[in-house]
Amino acid sequence: MTIASWIGGWRRVAQASGMALALHGLTFLLALPPALLVRDQIASQLGSSLAAGAVADGVNYDWWTEFTAQATGLGATFTPSIIGFGATLDAVSRVLDARYPPAALLWLLGAYLTLWTFLSGGILDRYARQRPTRAHGFFSASGRLFFRLARLTLLAGGIYWLLFTYVHPWLFLDLWRDLTRGLGVERTAFVWRLLFYALFGVVLLAINVVFDYARIRLVVEDRRSALGALRASLRFLRHHPLDVTALYALDGAGFVLLLALWSVAAPGVYGTGLAMWTAFVAGQLYLLARLAIKLHFLASQIALFQAHLAHATYTAAPAPVWPESPAAELIAR
Amino acid sequence: MLRRVLLPVVVGAVLVAAADPGAGGQQPAQAAAPARRGVQTFDQPPAETPSPRNASYDIAVRLDPARKEIKGRETIRWRNISTATTNELQFHLYWNGWRNDDSTWLREERLRAPEPARPHDAIRRPDETGASDVTSIKVTPAGGVATDVTSAIRYLAPDDGNGADRTVMAVTVPDAVGPGASVLIEIEWTGRIPFAASRTGWIADYFFFGQWFPKIGVLEDTGWNTHQFHFATEFYADFGVYDVQMTAPGGYKVGATGREMRRVDNADGTTTHSYHAEDVVDFAWTTSPSFIEERRAFNHPKLPSVEMRLLLRPEHRGQETRQLAAAAAGLEYYGQWFGSYPYGNITIVDPAYQSGSDGMEYPMLFTGRANWLSPEKVSTTPDSTIIHETGHQWWYAVVASNEFEHGWMDEGINTWATARVMEETRRPNLLAIRTFGTFIPFTPNLPLSREVSGNRMPTYRPDAEADAQTTPTFRYWPRSANAITYDKTALWMHTLERHLGWPTMQKVMAAYFERWKFRHPRPQDFFQVVNDVSGQDLTWFFDQVVRTSNTFDYAVQELKQEPSSQGRTRAVVVAQRLGEATFPVDVVTTFADGQQATEHWDGKDRRVIYTYERPARVTRVEIDPGHVLLLDINRTNNSCTTQPRADAAARKWSLAWMVWLQELMITSGFFG
Repeated sequence: MTIASWIGGWRRVAQASGMALALHGLTFLLALPPALLVRDQIASQLGSSLAAGAVADGVNYDWWTEFTAQATGLGATFTPSIIGFGATLDAVSRVLDARYPPAALLWLLGAYLTLWTFLSGGILDRYARQRPTRAHGFFSASGRLFFRLARLTLLAGGIYWLLFTYVHPWLFLDLWRDLTRGLGVERTAFVWRLLFYALFGVVLLAINVVFDYARIRLVVEDRRSALGALRASLRFLRHHPLDVTALYALDGAGFVLLLALWSVAAPGVYGTGLAMWTAFVAGQLYLLARLAIKLHFLASQIALFQAHLAHATYTAAPAPVWPESPAAELIAR
Repeated sequence: MLRRVLLPVVVGAVLVAAADPGAGGQQPAQAAAPARRGVQTFDQPPAETPSPRNASYDIAVRLDPARKEIKGRETIRWRNISTATTNELQFHLYWNGWRNDDSTWLREERLRAPEPARPHDAIRRPDETGASDVTSIKVTPAGGVATDVTSAIRYLAPDDGNGADRTVMAVTVPDAVGPGASVLIEIEWTGRIPFAASRTGWIADYFFFGQWFPKIGVLEDTGWNTHQFHFATEFYADFGVYDVQMTAPGGYKVGATGREMRRVDNADGTTTHSYHAEDVVDFAWTTSPSFIEERRAFNHPKLPSVEMRLLLRPEHRGQETRQLAAAAAGLEYYGQWFGSYPYGNITIVDPAYQSGSDGMEYPMLFTGRANWLSPEKVSTTPDSTIIHETGHQWWYAVVASNEFEHGWMDEGINTWATARVMEETRRPNLLAIRTFGTFIPFTPNLPLSREVSGNRMPTYRPDAEADAQTTPTFRYWPRSANAITYDKTALWMHTLERHLGWPTMQKVMAAYFERWKFRHPRPQDFFQVVNDVSGQDLTWFFDQVVRTSNTFDYAVQELKQEPSSQGRTRAVVVAQRLGEATFPVDVVTTFADGQQATEHWDGKDRRVIYTYERPARVTRVEIDPGHVLLLDINRTNNSCTTQPRADAAARKWSLAWMVWLQELMITSGFFG
């Protein structure tokens, strides 16, 4: 069932490939205006100086440090961590080390999360139905489900906030420091750190899985109660722990494989012109792949959830009126 | 047992003084005790020796690793080489810097940053404190009898009046000590070893002993120069001869200042290691059962051979060649440029993780800094650190300036010299971004220049105006002390190097080393050498960089061009001084026909205007194109071109930034 769900997930993603592209377009459109602002800051700082030549042709760390010393707002986030695979490491390391995103970007990330919450209703609905819902159906599902999913997202946000505000510091500041306080060997300290990452990561992923299935349940069964969806999700996980875990591990392996490939392929420092555009396109393809994998997580989990939808076979089916909940459609078939 | 071990040492110290300078230098480890060249009473000035040797120590110390404690007895032979007469003696008890949370060191540490690097630094648990408790002190004047002055012990706080600070101890002596007179001081003390403190302490099975024994201050013509232990500064001491016997558990490897003369296994399972060092200002030692020992000889056709001994932590196995090569590079280049290393052997200690003793210099021994994951192309650690600490043998150990008051004279000058060695040896030095709790280094292909990495412009820039270097270093604002001590000096020394040219600069530094080795130079002494050797009065320069906290910033304010008569172009170039500090700079204007006009601007006025009428248009203007003035905090505005490429550069990097931002968004989607 795990493999079937994993394959089914890819099939659903492929059937609605436009969604990955659309999501990618969303990140692109959201990132473009701030990128233009950063461009203006860099151009303004470089002015008509000769330093611009070196900055254009390669990298000039002397200039870079000068720029960041003067930059404010978005410009202050322009650090060497953005180069190639460094950006990926930075993003993952930020999560595990509980380094909050730069303040200048919080509003943007908040906007992205809100839009994602809105669109995820339509996305989950589309994957659950396994048939085109067209733009009208997609957005009406998104709109209809938005507040329910938003409640779940707020609930999840609260739990994540508790996790990062209390559990993470307790683990990585108090407990980890206590454990490694008298350690004179860095390698051993790193092993401890890895164990703590694993522990924290498992908690993080567990919460993520619970909320994933809560969202799926909320959409597939057209429920309103966020708490009810959470309870149902926990029930589902309790009844199918192996399937859920195996599927998540399989999905996760895809993500790790993508990171491994990107660590090799990510362009480092390059010049302008063709090299610049090639690097940019490579970056966009990588981001598209990441989004596809993210969507596949959801699609495969929906496949697994629906495969276990026991009551679908015995509940009296009302005549589905489009758009109807995916569960009702499934019953009708 | 302890008394049986110590008694002969103390008696011997009274009867016998300095060892044969030649004997200690070339003997292999574990050799017999050096032959003595007759008997010299402690109150006589030594014969021809490199240093005054006016503060010599015989120390016997026993380590109790379980109790984290040492018990020691020392005899100090101290001679007053100042013109002042004193009726008191002052001593440093540095480990009292961690005795209580109100010590000056810990108060300053808490000022340094809201979040200390190590949590135990700011507030210590009871079992993490350190202390030096003097239990007995006797003073014997030359030809006199010993007087027990233990009851006269008092504590001073000459720098800040902090009554809770016990890092300076004083005793009044019965007979005043006049110029040239000597006293013999016998001290017994107990030391509680601090947990992983700055430059000293214990962690796991690793012990590092720095500033560990009661140490006499420096009496100058104006009185005692005995500062409290401060967070941002280091030390100051007179030269002497050290004979030190360290008793540690058997199986523990010991490294120390000087050369091991004897090793005796005791009946109780301990081993006593006897070390001897001459003409040094301090004595440090380390011990651990885990050290891996590597020895290698440094040989160079123009320099004396040096025996290098590396005490490596097991987790850094595989880095031994790299660490020893870095030390050898230091010995080679410092030796060739400034003067040869005078001691014959050196011990490199690879400190334990989190020990706090990394990157610290002592005479004939220093600690490096290494990471378990240290990419070959990242030279900051261990290479740069080891070269730097090797360099301190010149600028600190031999030329022994007062680090409490003029930290730039050793740390700053040495930072400049380290950067020069790094550049000369062409070590690959890429930026490393440390992620995942700083354990995992990521190295984008981003080479670090001498200005950025060696001279540390990025850390100087934000604190450029924090303090003037004429302010005593211990009064610097703790958060920016390093920027002023290390970074600013490295930048102005490099500027001076470019201003004078390397051949002159090398002669300056070699003369400075030769003139002031085994002595205590003051800033004015350094300035004097620079002026003497360069043949220039550079007071104006030192006024700018040392005596003020002003910053340098020159800029091309404007380039205006318009047609003039007969098809010629009139170009107006406006150069501007934005900073308060001044330095002579060249303003070079390049024309489309390849011609150049070079103006030598004294850099004093706020702005200067140059007008040219030429057949060709101006294509670029540069202020200080040779990059002589490395202190200019904004280099980008130093130039102007008529074919700017800012848009192309900005487009490229903003696209890279955009990909980073998109990835950050997608990652944040995990939580939604």
